[in-house]
Amino acid sequence: MEIREKGYRHWEGQLQTSHLNWLPIARNGVKAVFKKKFAKLVFSLSASTFFVFLAAVYVSTKPELKILSELVRLLKSDAELFNTFYTNGFLTFMLVILTIFSGADLISADLKFKAFPLYFARPLSRGDYLKGKFSIVLFYLLSFTLVPGILLLLFKMLFTGSLAVSPLLLLAILVFPVIECTCLASLTLALSILSPNTKFIQIAIFLVYMFSHSLAQILKEIFKSDYFFLVSLQGNIQQLGSFLFGVKPAYAYPAWLSLLLPLVISVLAVWFLTRRIRKAEAGA
Amino acid sequence: MKEMIKLENISFSYGAVAAIRNVSLALPAGVFGLLGPNGAGKTTLMKLLLGFLLPDSGQGEIMGQELAVKQKSLRRGIGYMPESDCLIAGLDAVSLTAYLGELSGMPRQEAMKRAHDVLYYVGLEESRYRLVDGYSTGMKQRLKLAQALVHDPKLLLLDEPTSGMDPNGRTEMLELIQDISKKESMNIIISSHLLPDIESTCRQVVIMNKGRVVAEESITGLKKDNFNVYEIKVVGDQAPFFAELQSRHCRIEEKDRALFNVLLPGDVAPAVLFQAARQNGVQIRHFRQSRTSLEDAFMDVIREADGN
Repeated sequence: MEIREKGYRHWEGQLQTSHLNWLPIARNGVKAVFKKKFAKLVFSLSASTFFVFLAAVYVSTKPELKILSELVRLLKSDAELFNTFYTNGFLTFMLVILTIFSGADLISADLKFKAFPLYFARPLSRGDYLKGKFSIVLFYLLSFTLVPGILLLLFKMLFTGSLAVSPLLLLAILVFPVIECTCLASLTLALSILSPNTKFIQIAIFLVYMFSHSLAQILKEIFKSDYFFLVSLQGNIQQLGSFLFGVKPAYAYPAWLSLLLPLVISVLAVWFLTRRIRKAEAGA
Repeated sequence: MKEMIKLENISFSYGAVAAIRNVSLALPAGVFGLLGPNGAGKTTLMKLLLGFLLPDSGQGEIMGQELAVKQKSLRRGIGYMPESDCLIAGLDAVSLTAYLGELSGMPRQEAMKRAHDVLYYVGLEESRYRLVDGYSTGMKQRLKLAQALVHDPKLLLLDEPTSGMDPNGRTEMLELIQDISKKESMNIIISSHLLPDIESTCRQVVIMNKGRVVAEESITGLKKDNFNVYEIKVVGDQAPFFAELQSRHCRIEEKDRALFNVLLPGDVAPAVLFQAARQNGVQIRHFRQSRTSLEDAFMDVIREADGN
């Protein structure tokens, strides 16, 4: 073969140094998830909760729709409304589907295709790599929790014509999805690094969701203690919601434990991920 | 001249197994071949240079930057073509190359433009929009070279660059490496077990064995310093003839029936061959000076190192 006419040519530009060098990973990952088959279906289903609650908020703020507002009586308290929005079973289920959809293959595909040397031969630390991957899952989870939560609040203000909002409620609206999604995202990534087989990871995430709650229910029946709901993903989400929104706890155990647990899980997951990636990097 | 790579007493162990033992190297700018049998420590040395592994002891500098301390800024100037069949799934070649360019610190648009350039350069211009998952081994090798070049590194580390390629592809890859090596500001280290690849692309070699550097010199020097090779065809009783040659520290290697390579130490004149033949009643029917191959020199260095 002839060497391409002009031979090798240098690049005249200047490499940039940035603390955001994980951003291309995030951007590329977000785009890749969006292009996946069934993406629109998953996103539509995940967003459907928001539209149902939006309709409910509208109905509850209109006295002329008295008959319908009886149906959404529970939502008249703002704290109850947002707690129910964030912790309802369907949204939680869709968040698990979203983590499977957007996060299961994030690291496992890199393991399968031995991509670590390509990443780590760049000026990229293990932390940058993790930040990039983490932000992909977080982007999608927050898009269907925090963003609709804020929109719901704005619409409620619009419908009632009042800008009054309790600072604690506002804080809870912002903090709850962040804690919930951080925990889900870190757990997903920690599972994603376990195997190069994405199907295995997808099943593992689903099993954690399904069986953690079933196990908690069985243990509760046997030992008659609500503390076993600490092992349940759904249970913790409900208890965390009741703690942050100041509503009646779903289970009879200190609700702050459900605040502590996601943080502990996240820290452990990041520690585990860092160790595994260091190992993978050395073996790259 | 300021060294491109300077290592001082670098050691590294995988648990109880010492992979690199007190390696000291001072490589100036240029193109170097990294040779050694399996398990010699070549790949471990490359990983240490890239900062994938941290040395247990010793220190070093690459392009004036301290090894294991300035890893991020070091990697900015290094292009690495791994041996393993690695890729990022779900991307086409342009997106993958541009993506990796961006991760190296290139502005997004520049990375995309440069990705097209390097893919054209390595001969993937027609398949650059195809998903890399479906690439053949040869195409993947070219792609790995393209991604190593995208940010225009000062130091290029190529680990088995022709691995798995067909003869044509291999020749093309070697031509590309030769072309890149012509650029003065480009330094290259090629690790390969294929000695002809090293011979055709490098002038200097570093030979490793059992975690140590056992030779570090030019290929011509390595060949000259050791022995001269003569190809001979012998008729008659070969045993006493060869015994006499061996007593004079010559080595004999059978090439074919009655055709041998005789390796004479540098200080032994070829006339010795004819004297020994006459004394032992054998006829030399064919006599030709052979080019000393790098393989011969390599084997000699390894044998010598093993002997020590």
